[in-house]
Amino acid sequence: MLNKRPLKFTHIDTAVIILVVAAVSLFFIRMNLVLDYKWEWEAIPSYFFFLDPITGKLKANILILGFFTTIKLSFWATFIALFLGTISGVMGAKGSFEQRFVSRTYVESIRNIPSLVLVIIFYYFVSSQFLDTLYLDRWLRESSSTTRHLIGFLFSRPDNINSFISAVIALGIYEGAYVSEIIRGGIVSIPEGQWEASFSIGLTRQKTFLLVILPQTFRKVAFPLAGQFISTIKDSAIVSVISIQELTFQGMELMTATFLTFEVWITITFLYFILTFPFSRSVAFLEKKYALKQ
Amino acid sequence: MKKILCLCVMFFLLMAGVLSAQESVIEKIQKQGVIRVGMSTFVPWAMKDKQGDLIGFEIDVAKKLAQDMGVKIEFVPTAWSGIIPALLTGKFDVIIGGMGVTPARNLKVNFTIPYEYSGMSMVAHKSKAKGFSSLSDFNKKEVTIAVRMGTTAEQAARKHMPNASLKLFENESQALQELNLGRVHAVVSSAPMPVFHALKYPDKLFVPLKENFTKEPIGFALKKGDHDALNYFNNWILNMHAQGFLKEKTAYWFESKKWEDLVK
Repeated sequence: MLNKRPLKFTHIDTAVIILVVAAVSLFFIRMNLVLDYKWEWEAIPSYFFFLDPITGKLKANILILGFFTTIKLSFWATFIALFLGTISGVMGAKGSFEQRFVSRTYVESIRNIPSLVLVIIFYYFVSSQFLDTLYLDRWLRESSSTTRHLIGFLFSRPDNINSFISAVIALGIYEGAYVSEIIRGGIVSIPEGQWEASFSIGLTRQKTFLLVILPQTFRKVAFPLAGQFISTIKDSAIVSVISIQELTFQGMELMTATFLTFEVWITITFLYFILTFPFSRSVAFLEKKYALKQ
Repeated sequence: MKKILCLCVMFFLLMAGVLSAQESVIEKIQKQGVIRVGMSTFVPWAMKDKQGDLIGFEIDVAKKLAQDMGVKIEFVPTAWSGIIPALLTGKFDVIIGGMGVTPARNLKVNFTIPYEYSGMSMVAHKSKAKGFSSLSDFNKKEVTIAVRMGTTAEQAARKHMPNASLKLFENESQALQELNLGRVHAVVSSAPMPVFHALKYPDKLFVPLKENFTKEPIGFALKKGDHDALNYFNNWILNMHAQGFLKEKTAYWFESKKWEDLVK
């Protein structure tokens, strides 16, 4: 950036800041008047951690558990989305007619139905057709406690392993359609000259794709993909409708039990924010850094 | 193409066969050593305490049931609007969730004999519903009532106050928030929650009706066609009535507020 101006703090800036602060505080004062709400913030910390009265140790409570379930959910869903999306994206960009047809059908059908509908259909119809007949939960309950803990750490406890997996698959399929479009776009954007140059030095079509096109694609799509991961975290809130005990579900349960509606919503908003904000900042940072080197 | 179609049809037939040849839930529970209970948060029927463990009337009942069957228990917290489809698709074995026995529900699931009776009660906004003291006061076009979606509270409100307009919410806390804001005249819900809520905000809310305006039986819900399970649960409930277990738990959860410190 050649014409970077030094930051200067002017009177206009001061005025803008004062105005913003005034508007925000007016909003809160108005809200307090209208709502006439008894704030009980002091109850919230104990839903993060509490002192176990028997062992005297700090233990994670439902909000923290929900927070980690959201992370696990997003992680595995992204994993599936990357897998499906890469296959479908490559097929869509450089495949035969049938392959392109399959890829388009997948992408268009998923992108044109609401994620909520997809999750519900998957949970009630698809997962009860095959996941429940696998008896994963039974196997897990009968397995050793080390396996149980490991699976519990990576996925979920045996009592809701089936719904967790169906949520992960549904989210993965949903996000996969977007990943597919990102990857397809990435491949298509590599100039035709790259292909021609590779052929001219005697590389086969396959080798060209793997050695020349794909590495360049990955550099192009890395940042949009990271953005997609962030939106997976946010989208994961929809699986609360099928009773996955992630952050939003835990929050709603907590509200029903304690009636601390606003405190809990605000806390949850904050938790999602601290989950996604560092990601989006680091993506922006890396993008800037590598954009200059390219 | 024909071959694939044939295979698909075969697959689904096979699946249907697997599904229809089901054993009784009772045997399945015994075999797996665990009973899976579907429930939803409803104060004070079932809720999470400060440690994140489930407590409440239902929870005590379900735990006692599991103990008597000699199996472990797993609770499956489920959104109330989807709890019957979840039972039908086998996400859990039985609903012990304060579910009122209604004819409409009974067409879809089987109910046990009642283990508890609940009634609908109402909490109203002091300035919005000023001077209201009977159901006919609320049964007017300009009155709005908030209820939790898909509950018997919704049905009771429609039946007893057909002229009032309803606002439906997924959770009770949202309905109560709407009342606190004065956007609705009243909230209808199972006793004793409305009374507790009115006590919490005495300067804003009041209880317009001195008594519950409905009485409804509460039973376990299970899949249709499973007579062994129905028989077992019915007799278990009869036993618990006879032993006084249910009465004791009713007194603790519905007539006292000793449990409040556990929650908040």
